[in-house]
Amino acid sequence: MIGSANEVMNLAAKAARGGGAPVAQAYAFGRAAACHLIANRPAADLSAALDALPKGPILDLPLLLMACAEARQNEAEIPAGPLPDLTLSYAQSQSFACTATRSGSQITLSQTFDQPAAQLPVKRVTLPDALAARMQTLAAGLLVPETEASRRAGAGAGLTDND
Amino acid sequence: MKDEVIPPHVPLRPPDEVMRLARMGSMFPTRLSFLRSMIRRLARENAQITRPVWNMDEGGFGHAVYSLRFGGHEYSLVAISTDLPPELRTDRVIATAWDSAYVLYDGVPDANEIARIVAAAPKQEAARFSERDLVLSRANKSVRLFAHVVQALQDGQQPDEKMIRDVGYLMRTTAVYGNGKFGIADRALIADRPGLEGPFAAEMLTVWLIRHFTHDLVEHVGGGQLAPHIKRHLGIGNSTGLGMAPFLVTHPVLLNNWMMARETALARVRAIETLTKAQQDRLADLSHRAAKHLAEWDVPDPSHQARIVTLRADWQSILSDLKFDGTRPLDKAMEQAARYSFDVQELMAALVIEPFAELVDGLCDCMADPQGPFCPPLSDTEALRAAIRDHFNWALVPDYDAETGCGQFWYVSEAKQEPRLGLRFSEPGAELESPLDIGRQIKALNAALPEQSQPVSAFLAAFPQHAMAVDRVQLGAVHPYAEIRDNLIATSCLPIDMLRCKLSFFGASKFDPKSDRWTRITLCQGAPLADELNAAADDWWLPVFAP
Repeated sequence: MIGSANEVMNLAAKAARGGGAPVAQAYAFGRAAACHLIANRPAADLSAALDALPKGPILDLPLLLMACAEARQNEAEIPAGPLPDLTLSYAQSQSFACTATRSGSQITLSQTFDQPAAQLPVKRVTLPDALAARMQTLAAGLLVPETEASRRAGAGAGLTDND
Repeated sequence: MKDEVIPPHVPLRPPDEVMRLARMGSMFPTRLSFLRSMIRRLARENAQITRPVWNMDEGGFGHAVYSLRFGGHEYSLVAISTDLPPELRTDRVIATAWDSAYVLYDGVPDANEIARIVAAAPKQEAARFSERDLVLSRANKSVRLFAHVVQALQDGQQPDEKMIRDVGYLMRTTAVYGNGKFGIADRALIADRPGLEGPFAAEMLTVWLIRHFTHDLVEHVGGGQLAPHIKRHLGIGNSTGLGMAPFLVTHPVLLNNWMMARETALARVRAIETLTKAQQDRLADLSHRAAKHLAEWDVPDPSHQARIVTLRADWQSILSDLKFDGTRPLDKAMEQAARYSFDVQELMAALVIEPFAELVDGLCDCMADPQGPFCPPLSDTEALRAAIRDHFNWALVPDYDAETGCGQFWYVSEAKQEPRLGLRFSEPGAELESPLDIGRQIKALNAALPEQSQPVSAFLAAFPQHAMAVDRVQLGAVHPYAEIRDNLIATSCLPIDMLRCKLSFFGASKFDPKSDRWTRITLCQGAPLADELNAAADDWWLPVFAP
């Protein structure tokens, strides 16, 4: 699937929610997933993170980075962990300016807490079809069949639309 | 660097007063509304609309392309008109065919691109689009009015003015998609382009161009020209349901910026010490225009019609006492309005802002959200507790365990993946609830905070389910108007109030609620036509027919 960054971000977030992640962590994963694919990092990392739910990096990585931010250290080192590229993507998708570079088993963060992250527009994001299908399946777990009452009350309901 | 002088202002109305659903559900469009600011910009640039392609048969079916240069870029509306059997015409989101479909295109499309869009746009959600496609939309005819106007023009006459006034549009959109949906361009790709920086700017440009197309289409089929005053009163309708409501909750910084701009505008005009005679006369004219607008606003729903009737009477009553002389006259006007309903108060707020372009128009530049949900993180749970105490007391009050305190739940429908609202105790699906229960989540977070302060990360390691509430508290501490300060899952929650708030920021008027979950509205009514983009183009607040 080739789509917009917003589409990929939302799909990844919904997939994480459908896989059992709490809402905030799911949306952090969505942002990181878009960043990850834009940077041409391995899509397998995203699959692995989804596979690990309801535990794993989708819950752990935001906490790791939050702990760094709480320490208010402009320069910090964190372990690269088992999915180092995904750790980089999480670091680079924070709301404040943060650059991250990997050196072996460590990632060095350079953080500016009072400066928002630059939003770099991208034209297209490629999400491998197999991962897209997996995400869609997980996301579908959040959908609820409409009731007749809901249908009766929805926009456009109950009127002749030819008026 | 240019020195900026911030105009004096009275204290802003506090969020606890402003961010209540009942008040938000009484809002009117203002000169800060996105359509207004978009059209001011078009007029400033003297934008010229051309129609390089008009490929329509006698019945008005085919396609057209409109192009303009705006903010240094070329944009085009590709419009496709389809012969839709009446039995397929529905405003429901589950529809699969429409009278017309549209794409706002980045540039001027060549024949291949036009062919691609003509094939894809009528399929809407079922098709895929490219990064050159900025906005995707569709609209259905008001068959009753469209047919009448065609017949009148074919008879060499102008259409019945009462019918024009009563319906107010030839077509109504049932969706206007932006920001990456179905593969169209991300907003980030165009967000820094001159003229498109504002919220929903590309969507507003699309809607205004669609309106222009509907005029051309009816004149083409009818074989005659509409009188300008009739054409100007023909806006573009819109049917809006629950799909729009969660946006205000899921975009708290944007909501804050919209409300903050509006409240700042109001606070600035309330601080004006005295008004010139010309300003007083202008306010008097506008207040009478508002009365006439109310007189022309009728809806079929009895309860909403009763509300309009009450507003008409209250407005006349307050007008009889209203003076714009003396000191701080607009502050006094707002104080007078405070004795009346929210409807009167919010109409008065929109009125007093209207004449003061130089004081308020610059605030339009503050209504976007270029930084996203950026805010300083709170370091420990004691800071969280303090922020909840200072900014979220409203969330701690409701009893969310009571049946009436949690009687509804938001969810996403399987059929069209659209937001819906269910009844918790009589409908299935509450276990898949969407997280619009902000107040309940804040209260739960507050209850879970430990006695002894600890880092937020340590707290969330033990209680990951509270991370979203932590995010909202952090945002709320620096964005005072970010939250709707009501219980959005209470049995008493009326989503129509959220819709009206958002639509008033778009510039919608003539709200025509069909239930507490969806409404029809009119956009661009009274707005300048494509050949009227001049210095006088901005005077269409609360339009009236043939003023």
